[in-house]
Order: sequence, then structure tokens, then C-alpha cells
Amino acid sequence: MRLFAVSVSHRTAPVELRECVDFTRRGIDGALTALTERTRAREAVVLSTCNRAEIYAGGDGDGVAEACGRFIGDYNGVAWDSIAPHVVIYRGLDAAMHLFRVAAGLDSLVVGEPQILGQVKSAYAAATGVKTTGALTNRLFTSAFSVGKRVRSETHLGEGAVSVSYAAIALARKIFRDLKGLNVVILGAGEMAKLTGLHLQAQQIKGLTIASRTLATAEALAGRLRGRAVPWASLGDALSAADIVVTATGSTEPVLTRARVEDAMRPRRGRPLFIIDIAVPRDVEPGVGELDQVFLYNIDDLQAIVHENLSRRSAEIERAESIVRQELDRFGAWMQSREVLPTVIALRQRFDAIRQSELKRLEPKLAPLSPEARERVDEITHLIVEKLLLTPTEQLKSTRDESLAVAYADAVNRLFALQAPKADEDAGDLP
Amino acid sequence: MTSWLPFVLYAAAAAAYFRHFSRRDPRTGRTATGLLGAALLAHTFLIGMQTMQAGYAPLVGTTAAVSAFVWLLGLAYLYVELTSEERAMGVFVAVLLAALAILPALNPQTEPRPALLRSPLFTVHVLSMLFAYASFALAFVLGITYVLLFKEIKAKHLGYFYTRLPSLQTLDVMNGRAVVVGWLFLTCGLIVGGVWATQIGGSPDPRAQAMSFGDPKILVALISWVIYSFALFARRAIGWTGRRAAWLSAFAFVLVLLNLVPVGYFLTRSHNF
Repeated sequence: MRLFAVSVSHRTAPVELRECVDFTRRGIDGALTALTERTRAREAVVLSTCNRAEIYAGGDGDGVAEACGRFIGDYNGVAWDSIAPHVVIYRGLDAAMHLFRVAAGLDSLVVGEPQILGQVKSAYAAATGVKTTGALTNRLFTSAFSVGKRVRSETHLGEGAVSVSYAAIALARKIFRDLKGLNVVILGAGEMAKLTGLHLQAQQIKGLTIASRTLATAEALAGRLRGRAVPWASLGDALSAADIVVTATGSTEPVLTRARVEDAMRPRRGRPLFIIDIAVPRDVEPGVGELDQVFLYNIDDLQAIVHENLSRRSAEIERAESIVRQELDRFGAWMQSREVLPTVIALRQRFDAIRQSELKRLEPKLAPLSPEARERVDEITHLIVEKLLLTPTEQLKSTRDESLAVAYADAVNRLFALQAPKADEDAGDLP
Repeated sequence: MTSWLPFVLYAAAAAAYFRHFSRRDPRTGRTATGLLGAALLAHTFLIGMQTMQAGYAPLVGTTAAVSAFVWLLGLAYLYVELTSEERAMGVFVAVLLAALAILPALNPQTEPRPALLRSPLFTVHVLSMLFAYASFALAFVLGITYVLLFKEIKAKHLGYFYTRLPSLQTLDVMNGRAVVVGWLFLTCGLIVGGVWATQIGGSPDPRAQAMSFGDPKILVALISWVIYSFALFARRAIGWTGRRAAWLSAFAFVLVLLNLVPVGYFLTRSHNF
């Protein structure tokens, strides 16, 4: 059985096409069952995220990979002609390498993003649920998980926020322990204010207060965000109670002056205040950042952090790639030994059969021996067979070159007239 | 030779914590914790041996006090690390431990115990004071790291400490707790010391005669008590948290350290056992 992967991803296809080949719409389980019914894939895992639709499978013969490629289109009702140029097929170790790089986050749109490993895990779980995995895909995905885990723990590939909103949240987490229980005040009721509010609500903050020059717009937004609107006049009280203030008004003059924030800081007793100014032009006077226990970041500061984090991530790529290579070597060695395993088993069975038949032939001569002596004879013959087979077995298993290994196995099969079972019929992993 | 073992292990732990801090590699972190644990075990063994040989706890003299301080600080830090799963402070603590552990390693003899010190009050006094100092040492480290992180965030230059230290609030809360614990033990130690000093007041020993508020060791200890009391009051009443609390606990510990080492060795006339 040959391993292959069929991929439609953000690297090969535009978003409009990726949306059309989303397997999650009709359920991964159904897709897996249909895939194994309609193609000759004997093992299959379907990975479907917003950035990729991929099939990792094993099958016999040459046309299976192409059939799986067509299946991506057929199953989702997309004409083959329109997706054919966007489908990439990886075979053998290339397929494994692709999965390892995906699991490591190296193939992601934002390199090192953490969700993909979880998505790979649930894709595999879904496939084991409907029993479309086997020895090959089991080993492949276990290896991919350890790549993902190692990249996460041994490199800093996933570290540092790479979007402005995550950078702001990461900063808030370095100032306060976590965002739960914090009071957030948003100044402004426009689109930016709404997006920020939605983002913060997802962090389970305690209270969200919205202040705008016109109370009605503040109330409208507060209604949508499950927050509270306050009139502009009572902004001072809201500021005193806030832990995080986000300013996103359309004002051309700074709305938070140094004097105003200084007043708000007085009753706070040293509690820190994190002000995020995402408005252009700025809403907060630069002097506010000089106040003790006030941390002021504007949109440019946050963007600078994001740029720095991105360049730090790219410096980690090489380390992650080397982990991928290491695990790929191990997986390759396993695939190799898998090719020759049936020959090894058949060879051992042949030798043991000869031993048994010789013992049987000599039965009359052995009969007078004591049970201990008989046992000894059995043991000695067994050891001779083991020793004779040790070197050829090791040589077969350790051959790195795939074609050479196959040639060796072939030669052994012919020399000893073995009828090796097919590679994928073995019971499981090598010991 | 055995007297050098704790120092060597503390130094190795400090090196491992440093490596862990700069590389952020969890395996090195576990090694560092293991080395610190080994150092504390070796140190415990040494103190136990000395106690058995002498027949009393080795708390007589400044060197013995420094040794006990190192031991208590190590234990207190290890407790905090294991309960908070926060290893970033280790490098600062372990460097302090290794630096101070040189003193007992250079002078491993157990001092003979004068008749004056044969009171359980003496042991309670010394252990309370040293545990208070250990707490203040933790507060000091937390304060220093707070200031380092504060400066990075304030300057919008998120770099070395930003990726390595826990949040400002965590550091501040832990600092506050360490000061409270230290203050309680310091108060207890000072009261017990005062009671004990009045008990031995009639002794002809010149050191008992020197027990007065004018003695540098006693004076600096009382000043430290005043400063830490102020720190507690200021945190609760006038909002001196964060950076101010951090600086205050850092400054106050410098005073404590001066009292423990140079004052203890060279200046005091009442505590030079």
C-alpha cells in the first residue's frame, strides 16, 4: 500500500474555491465513508479547515491518488476542471512531510498559529471513529502529533501575538493576570469600537462600558455587546472604575487629556490602567503615558509589536523544519522496514518450518532421550536458526534506499522461493 | 569537602536557572529545580550532621545564621515555585543563594554555644528573624523583576523580560504576600528577642550588656521593621502598590542584607557570638 496526500490549500487555491470544498459542511464522517466507498483508498483521513481541504490516504495501484483528488471536487459538487489546477498530490515521504509541516504550523497562513495541531488531531479522531484508519495512517498521524508537540515545546515558533488585537490582549495579560474580572471602557461607538468590543467579550471580561458623545449610539452598541452605555458627562466615573480603556472615536482632538486621566487615577489607589488608542487621529494625549501606573499603547505601537513578533517567528522556522526532518527520517525508516517486513516474516517462517520438519523426521532417533535433553535439542536448533537469520534480517531492515530494499526483498523471495504476503496485510507495527 | 557541596550545588542550580531563563527550555528548568532540590538536601544533611555533632542547632554566629538563612530562603523559594509553577524568579534567588553560601563553605566549623544562648527563646528568635529575612528576599526578587517588566511595558519595548516574567499583577500580589509573611515573622522575632534580652539582662557577658536600641544590629532590625510596617500600611491605605511597593521592598531588603552580613560580622557588639 502506498501513502499519498491530496491537498487544496491557501497555497494553491483562492478563498472562493476553498469555501466550495469545505468537507465540514456535510460532516467529515460522511465524507470519509463516501471516500472509502468511491475510491480504492484503503485508509483515509480528511483534514478540512478554512485554509485547506486535504485527504491523507493509503491505497494500492496508481490511480487512487487521482481518484481522491477528483473526489474532493465530486463530493462538494465542484467540476473537476475548475479545481484540477489547484489540487496538489504528494506521494510517499513527501505526503508525510507535508502533514508534518502542516501539524507544525509551518504551512499555515500565519506561520506557527496554534489551532492547526488541534484540527489535525480532530481530523484523525473523526477517521478513527468511522474506522477508516489503519497501520499506515495511525503511524503517520502519531508521528505528526509528536512533530507538532516538539515544535511547540522546543521552538518559539508559536510565540508572540501576530495580530493587533491579540497583541493588545497579550499585553493586557502581562499587566493584569487574566482578563476575567476586568472592567473595560470603550470610547466611541463606530465599527472599530464594535470589533474591539466583540473581541474583548470573547475574553470573558467582567464589565463592558461604552461611552460616546451621543448617548443613543452608545446605547445601540451596548445592546449588541451586552454592555452598559454611559453618557459622556459621567465618563470620569467610568474611567476611575476601568482597568482597560479602548479609545476609538472619530474625534479630531484628543478626548483623553492628561488632566482628565490624572483625575481618574486619583481614586484608583495605584491600580494600573491600560489605555489602548486605536483611533486615527489619536484620542489620547501622549503625556498620559507618562503618568505612573498608566500604560498607553496606540495602534502604531501595537503594529510595531506585531512586526517584531513576525520577524521573531521567521527566525524560528529553521529549527522547526529540522524537527520535521528528524521525525521524517524516523517515519521513513519505519516505512522502509514495513516494505521488507513481509519478506522477513516469510523467511523466518520458512526456516522454522524446516527446523520443525527435521525434528519430526528425527523423531524416532530422539525418542530415547530424556525430556530435558529433548528440550535442549529444541533450544539448540532454535538458536541456530535465530543466529543464521540475524544478519540478513538486520541488513534487510536497515537498508535506507527504498528501491534497494525492495530489490533485496525481491531477491530473498526468489532465492528462498518465498510467497511473502502483501505489505499492508501485516498485523501492525514492527516491534 | 562536604561543607563545599551545598555551595557547589547552589552555584550549579544558579547556572541552570540562568540557562533556563535565557533559553526558556522547560527541560533545563526542571534540571535547575532538581539541582536546587539537591543543594537543599545536601545543606539539610550538613546542618543535621552539625546538630548531631554539637548537640544543638548550628545557629550560633553570623556564618551559621547566613547558612540557615540560605537554607530557609531555598526552601521558601522552592515552595513558591512548586505551588505557583513559576520558574522565572529562580535565577535571581539562586544567584543570591550561591553568593551567600560561600560564607559557610569557607568557614564550616560549628561555633561553641555560650551559656547565654541556652534558651529556647534564642532558637525561636533566630529562626523567626531568618525566616522573615527569607520572605523579604523573595519580596526583593519579586520587586526587582516587577520594575524590570514595568520598564519594558512602559517603554513599549517588549523584549527580554516581557517574554520571561509573569504578569505585573502576579508579581505585585506575590510581593505583597511575601512582605506580609516576612513582617509577621519579623515582629514575632523582635518581640521574642526583646523578651529574651530582658531575661539575660543580669548576665555579666559583655554582649548581654550591649543589648540596647543603640546597637547597630538591633537598630537596623528595628528600622527594617518600621520600613516594612510602612510598606504594609502604604499598600492598603494610600495605594502604594506596583512600582512603589516594588522599590520599597527592594530598598528595605538591601538594609536587611546589610544587617545580616556586614553589620553582623563587623559592627555589632551585642550579636557577635
